[in-house]
Amino acid sequence: MNLRKYEEMNSQQIDALREVGSIGTGNAATALSALLGCEVRIPLPEVQVLEFNDAVEKLGGFETVSAGIISSLSGEINGLMLALVQLDAINLILKHIMGKQIVSYDDLTELEDSAVIEVGNILISSFVNALSGLSGVKIVPSVPQLTIDMQGAIITVPMAAYGNQSDYIMLIGGSFLVEGKELPCRLLLAPDVRSLNYLLHRLGIDG
Amino acid sequence: MNKLTVGIADMKMARDEGVLITYALGSCIGICLYDPFIRLGALVHVMLPLNMEANRTSPLKYADTGIRLTISKMEQRGARRSRLVAKIAGGAKMFDVAGNGSLGSIGQRNIDSVHQVLQQERVRLLREDVGGRSARTLLFDVATGEGCIKVVGKAEKIL
Repeated sequence: MNLRKYEEMNSQQIDALREVGSIGTGNAATALSALLGCEVRIPLPEVQVLEFNDAVEKLGGFETVSAGIISSLSGEINGLMLALVQLDAINLILKHIMGKQIVSYDDLTELEDSAVIEVGNILISSFVNALSGLSGVKIVPSVPQLTIDMQGAIITVPMAAYGNQSDYIMLIGGSFLVEGKELPCRLLLAPDVRSLNYLLHRLGIDG
Repeated sequence: MNKLTVGIADMKMARDEGVLITYALGSCIGICLYDPFIRLGALVHVMLPLNMEANRTSPLKYADTGIRLTISKMEQRGARRSRLVAKIAGGAKMFDVAGNGSLGSIGQRNIDSVHQVLQQERVRLLREDVGGRSARTLLFDVATGEGCIKVVGKAEKIL
């Protein structure tokens, strides 16, 4: 049976995506460990399908300023993937890669921007590789773009892209554990509905 | 003071006093509609330019059906179309996404659609703060008809 909307996914299908998320974030932890030169662990991520306003609240509110790294997905599916990273996570990255700290997002120069983009890129491509590997579907993420602003406005970008198909978005949430500190990392996945059906079919869980 | 929060694809209305707020408009647009004669104000937060949904479950998500529904709800509470004025904010471009041109232009398409619908409905557009690259929080004071825009790292601006 084909889904018409994200919110029609059943618990078995969400479980399967959680498994994909878990493998993806596991890969991301390995890649981040190599980049930062310290141990990075990621407990089991949660996958949720949330209504737009609930998703923004769940992520810490509309006006919270975050760095958003977005990549459009092409190949055998169409979609968008967004990673949200906040200031304490950025500082941890900068400390390990460049040995420096910033007080606010305004202090980010072009060089530091690229470090933040790289971390977003690792998060996105780890998940995409896991999804692609498990489903056998070819997925090509675009070069990621960075913006820093109120996260409510950032999150509406993937929502608006497929907002004519759904009032819901898929949130893959997890936290990195680095040096005893827990850093939230959030991924939002918005495939178009046809792509979602194709993915579920290829994962063998199209009901 | 009474504050009402307007979510995404949502609309709130107030009369005589109260502040309507919608947070973090990116490519979305906040449309303040006001009948100054009876001091009835509404704020609607739309996400997309045109409603092409077959079953139309969320009319407030779209500029065309969102504005029209808001106007008719205001008319039910005594507003007259000839007195209605509008102020709008939003329609920013948050990202340049490579290989996805339609995504970057969504803000502009929203602006164009809101302009067109207001014109079709014969509602005068008094002021706007649209486009650009920054998110905006929009407050609308129903007592005065005055709007206020907040952008990260900038001074507040009267709309």
